[in-house]
Amino acid sequence: MTRNAESALLVLAALLTGAGAALVTVTMDDTIMADAALAPAVFLAGFGGLLIAVRRWASGSVRTLLPLVALLTAVGWIEIYRIDRQAGRLQLAWILLGTTLAGAVLFLLRRRGVEVLRRYRYMFLVAGLGLLLLPLLPQALPLHGVTINGSRLWVRLDAGSASFSLQPGEAAKLLIVAFLASYLADRHRGLADMPRRLGPLHVPEPRQLLPIFLAFGVSFLVLVYQRDLGASLLLFAVFATMLYAATARPTYLIASAALVAGGGLAAAQSFSHVQVRVEAWLHPFADFTGTGYQIAQGLFALGSGGLTGAGFGAGSPDLIPAASTDYIFVAIAEELGLAGGLAVLAAFGLVISIGFGIAMRAGDAFRKLLAAGLTLTLGVQTLLILAGVIRLFPVTGITLPFMSYGGSSLLANLVLIAVLVRISHEERV
Amino acid sequence: MNRAFRRLSIGVLAGIAALVVALTYQQAIAGPGYARDPRNVRVFADLTAEERGNILTADGIVVARSELTGDGTYVRVYPQGEFYAHTVGYATGSTSSGIEQTRAADLRSRDDGTLGAVLTELFGADLGPQSVHLTIDHNIQQAAYAALGDQKGAVVALDPTSGAVLALVSNPSYDPNIFTVGSDAERDALLDDENGPLLNRALTETYAPGSSFKLIVTMAALETDFADPDTLLPDTDELALPNSLSTITNAEEGYCGNGATVSLQQALVISCNTAFAQLGMDLGADAVVDAAEAAGFNRTISFELPTIASVIPEASTFLNSDAALAQTALGQRDVRATPIQMALVAAAVANDGTAMRPYLVGAITDGGHTVSRTNPRAWLRVISEDSAADLSAMMEQAVFSGTGWRAAVPGLRVFGKTGTAEVPDAAPHTWFVGFAIDSNGDSIAVAVLVESGGYRGDEGTGGSVAAPVAQAVFSAWVDS
Repeated sequence: MTRNAESALLVLAALLTGAGAALVTVTMDDTIMADAALAPAVFLAGFGGLLIAVRRWASGSVRTLLPLVALLTAVGWIEIYRIDRQAGRLQLAWILLGTTLAGAVLFLLRRRGVEVLRRYRYMFLVAGLGLLLLPLLPQALPLHGVTINGSRLWVRLDAGSASFSLQPGEAAKLLIVAFLASYLADRHRGLADMPRRLGPLHVPEPRQLLPIFLAFGVSFLVLVYQRDLGASLLLFAVFATMLYAATARPTYLIASAALVAGGGLAAAQSFSHVQVRVEAWLHPFADFTGTGYQIAQGLFALGSGGLTGAGFGAGSPDLIPAASTDYIFVAIAEELGLAGGLAVLAAFGLVISIGFGIAMRAGDAFRKLLAAGLTLTLGVQTLLILAGVIRLFPVTGITLPFMSYGGSSLLANLVLIAVLVRISHEERV
Repeated sequence: MNRAFRRLSIGVLAGIAALVVALTYQQAIAGPGYARDPRNVRVFADLTAEERGNILTADGIVVARSELTGDGTYVRVYPQGEFYAHTVGYATGSTSSGIEQTRAADLRSRDDGTLGAVLTELFGADLGPQSVHLTIDHNIQQAAYAALGDQKGAVVALDPTSGAVLALVSNPSYDPNIFTVGSDAERDALLDDENGPLLNRALTETYAPGSSFKLIVTMAALETDFADPDTLLPDTDELALPNSLSTITNAEEGYCGNGATVSLQQALVISCNTAFAQLGMDLGADAVVDAAEAAGFNRTISFELPTIASVIPEASTFLNSDAALAQTALGQRDVRATPIQMALVAAAVANDGTAMRPYLVGAITDGGHTVSRTNPRAWLRVISEDSAADLSAMMEQAVFSGTGWRAAVPGLRVFGKTGTAEVPDAAPHTWFVGFAIDSNGDSIAVAVLVESGGYRGDEGTGGSVAAPVAQAVFSAWVDS
């Protein structure tokens, strides 16, 4: 695919937002058509600008990634706009900011490439853990944590009368992946060395296992103090799969699975919020008006969407709690039907495949592990939230990359894509 | 490292594949169920805003339509008022019942203003609301209501060869417009009405079947080869029940035949209690209960609208009680039937022993053309063809020269059995269960139930109260 084809696809994604906004305006009997012009303009400026940055500073990169990301962002944006016009306009600002930030990352990495990230690995670790713990800041400070929907994973900065909320966990996951890639690139041989045996399992020296216990500890703390099942599972899954990616030793996956199972059981026993989620997953209609309400409404939306959907603006996603964030996919599947839902799944599958392709072709252990780690983060997060809303798994309450409403998630995932793009460029230099 | 990457990528993509399967299941397989779930308010959300399709009778009378109001929303109007309240039901912004509920998805417009809809319409498809065509014949429905008049009761008429419901009447009824445009006071009055106009007596109330249950006992005798129509049964004027203080006598007091024997056919024709009580005991509980269950007792009839099962106690409960079995054989004691169940018994006899699955919606149409049509399906093989022929002959005689004579219509062959079920401290429930065949060979099966002896009160019998209603139904059928 040429760079021009890539540009053409980006233009198509931009036009899609315009058509979507126009359709929503018509079906919902709004009168203001301005957004139908504003949205493609913002998409063209944002993703067009990012494409220019890619052409300048990552000219040898894959060409398929950006159009897919733009497509997912566009479809997600139309649905956000359909659910809440004001949120849609705000999200346009985040899209502009996110693509700018992604371009800035490409600019910063232009000379020495992603290699430069290795230098700061301990800074990343400290910053990552710090960001994770940030929501625990007490209420009295100007910068403090807030509890939204029972989970304490937000921070709010009160500056005078204005306030500003962020989910620092989104940035933390990138920093931690960068640290892990660098750490594992140095240590993967030691970790893969398994001189001891424990029954049928080969096990490494106990001190080598320290990081995985540390990871488990951090994830568990997140679960306990922030009551955030999704972020906790995501972190732990990324730790475990990156260890496996670096060592090719199934021992790590088995040990991690055992820890998750044990931890999960313990959590289900002792934490009411975990219990409630599991119960709502197994029997959503048992407490239809209470804990099962969101899952049941999600299923009704999926069922009412059917094969071809109600059409943009013609469904009732406003009936589903958190339709524009956790449940954005269900809202899309209601309005675009199974056909639209499968198309979104296919796009995510392609993005993930491209990510792994980049990891496999990357030149050295660090780049490989960084690309794999970022792809795994994206993949696991997508699987966790989608499995939750389709009722394959309890709902864990994390965002769907590129599609959910919210700035932190969009910014973090666009930066993630920029780093992947840069790694794919470096394989050619 | 690449080998581990490959495995991980397969793992994640397998996860995506699992999502594809799960999403397909939720939207395509379980989806229609979610879409229709009564708790899914989407089904009702559009009712007030959107136009819904018409509901029509088989002969084209509109019984439900949408009317545009001043503020641009639609309201449901039921031009035939109480004639179809229990069948069509009603639909308001928040609740619905009857066909309005079960066929909500068909009645909704699919012109949802989406791009897909616009394109489909460009290619000539009509996405406007679809019409639901009932199998009910308006003339028969009206005649059944008229014949019941002020009497509480129910009438179910079916086409025995297809199962199509030709009339479905529960009296007293109510005006469904009260739910769509009426006042709260009118609604409350309806809910508090002690005559129970909201009850569907045809489908969700059971009554002792009385002598109409002798049809089932006769089926048991024929099917087990215990007897044929000419088999002679003992004729007594009074039957003392074993281990019991009760005795059984005949309605007219006295003997049924010559005082020694009476044929099975004659016993059915004049509804001989003593002979049938003895027959029931001689057949045994297993045979009687099996025959009832073969006809559909103890199971819910799968139907467009909610029904409840007709019941007969398990055979084992009669183990040491021939008295209970004798009374059950007369349709008393604990056996109970819905009017639709008894209509299906008659329909099975008329249809060579097979009861067809009853249905109420014949077709869905879209503008001019038919979108879907209901295909008749067999429900139960109740009795053999031979037994059906024997029983038909006996039922014809019961109308020609027996208790059912008031159901006779000139020019038709009419078959039937009356029932008068004693009710403690009240007037008896009266039944007529039968069918008619015209000169073309077309047929109609009917069950009439009139509560508490109807106009005649304590004096009421199946022959005097219910049979004339059946006669009115048969006449209306011939005329239309």
